[in-house]
Amino acid sequence: MIEQLTIPFQYEYMLKAIFVSALIGGVCAFLSCFVTLKGWSLMGDALSHSIVPGVALAVMLGLPFAVGAFFAGLLAAAAMGFVKAKTPIREDATIGIVFTSFFALGLLLISLYPTGFNLRTIVFGNMLGIADFDILQAIVICAIAMTVLLAKWKDLLLFCFDANQARSIGLNTTALHFILLSLLSAVAVAALQAVGACLVVAMLVTPGATAYLLTDRFGRMLGIASTMGVLTSAAGAYASYFLDGSVGGCIVVLQTTLFLLAFAFAPKHGMLASRRASRKAIAATLQEVSA
Amino acid sequence: MISDQASLEVHVSDVTVTYNNGHTALHDASFHLRSGSICALVGVNGSGKSTLFKAIMGFVRPSRGSVTIGGRPVKEAQKKSWVAYVPQSEEVDWTFPVSVWDVVMMGRYGFMNFLRTPRPEDKRLVRESLERVKMWDFRDRQIGELSGGQKKRVFLARALAQGGRVILLDEPFTGVDVKTEAAIIELLRELRAAGHIMLVSTHNLGSVPEFCDQVVLINRTVLASGPTEEVFTQANLALAFGGVLRQFQFDHSTVDDSDGRAVTLLTDDERPVVLGRGGHLEHRLSDEGKQGDES
Repeated sequence: MIEQLTIPFQYEYMLKAIFVSALIGGVCAFLSCFVTLKGWSLMGDALSHSIVPGVALAVMLGLPFAVGAFFAGLLAAAAMGFVKAKTPIREDATIGIVFTSFFALGLLLISLYPTGFNLRTIVFGNMLGIADFDILQAIVICAIAMTVLLAKWKDLLLFCFDANQARSIGLNTTALHFILLSLLSAVAVAALQAVGACLVVAMLVTPGATAYLLTDRFGRMLGIASTMGVLTSAAGAYASYFLDGSVGGCIVVLQTTLFLLAFAFAPKHGMLASRRASRKAIAATLQEVSA
Repeated sequence: MISDQASLEVHVSDVTVTYNNGHTALHDASFHLRSGSICALVGVNGSGKSTLFKAIMGFVRPSRGSVTIGGRPVKEAQKKSWVAYVPQSEEVDWTFPVSVWDVVMMGRYGFMNFLRTPRPEDKRLVRESLERVKMWDFRDRQIGELSGGQKKRVFLARALAQGGRVILLDEPFTGVDVKTEAAIIELLRELRAAGHIMLVSTHNLGSVPEFCDQVVLINRTVLASGPTEEVFTQANLALAFGGVLRQFQFDHSTVDDSDGRAVTLLTDDERPVVLGRGGHLEHRLSDEGKQGDES
């Protein structure tokens, strides 16, 4: 039995997949705390789809695909900002228009000019077949992102909480906005390999949302989310061996399971806790009335 | 003490702000405030109050005119964290996972190193500020778990920790009860005595004569500014609000018919302005009156 459980560790591709998934999952989860608090979940989804044409172009030109993806992401963010500033169209519609256009352009490019990079990889990820160069790419992206996040998390926190205050004490909020957007693009590129464009947003939202239900201190939220990101991603990749299922699917299903548990049982913000609290409040009111 | 006492002045001269969409929110606005004053900023919605705040905080660049604080341009004042802002309750996300201590510490970021590591000095100032607004015991609470008045005091503490010498308060009395309002006013008076300048945007006209020594009346430009007794008059208020204010005139009422002198006015939340014959402004609870009551 024990022998069977260690089988995945005997394959190099499984070890790589588990390691890279855990790394990406951890960084995504750390960033997800800012994404959920800033209300940028939809933005994360949009960026992860918008990077597809960048990936296609980079592969066609023989560049590392992270480069193309990163610039496509920033271009999409700029396009959203531009449309929002110049028209009275609501923000969600703007995001919807821009990211679907980018995604469609990406699909078109890939179907017109087939390269070694296949569509399935982009849409669903390909963790088990990940090339060594792509692993290196993911490690570099994660290292840079974590360095920036660890150095600037307090500034980013203030920016998310009270941008006016950040500005009034002389912080450069335009730069902070750009940093957060860039991190989101960069990390989405890395996560694309693990779970694919469709599921990136889950990695960028679910751990943060789960941790938010479990604590009301930001420091702890970062800790809970990152731990959850690392563990679920590693476990998801590991479990995919036995289930013979998609790595992305396993990771996200695991994360969702934890979210649902927190949603039901979280000590303060969970469903059962709020029900208890409201029952208590009603009882107290009734007692007051009868007294 | 929390900030040094060097005197500071706010000069707003001929400020015109035109937004990118071509809308001129404020034109040729001028007034000035000396250190140690509480000034009410009074005007209808859309009169340019928030634009004026933004100009003083350096969020918008006037297309004409200038704002100087302590003789320095706004950008420089910003770098020194001289201008502090106490936001309206509606602007704050109260579900945010930060504690009272965290929020007040954010006021110190401008003085900290690249990584924003608090020094003992920062911790001391945060503690002092929290004690000053009597919120030290609540330092570990999540900010959503506070009453309306406590929330206000936390943001005031942040302004103090920041060393803000010009404090802008946006509608500080909405959502707070009468007792808390009195406590906030008391605190503002102490800060005035310590040389701070407070600019308070408020709809609560009745409280203006009680605690503001200066008034700026605004409607797309500064209509009048100066000491409360001179500026906060019936004529000026009519000018600022046009027909927008509800008014009840006792001298045309049955109250006057039955008894020309004894008038009782009750109101639930917002304090009314009471003006006597010949424009006499009722403000029995102003500084002198208050001290007299207590002695």
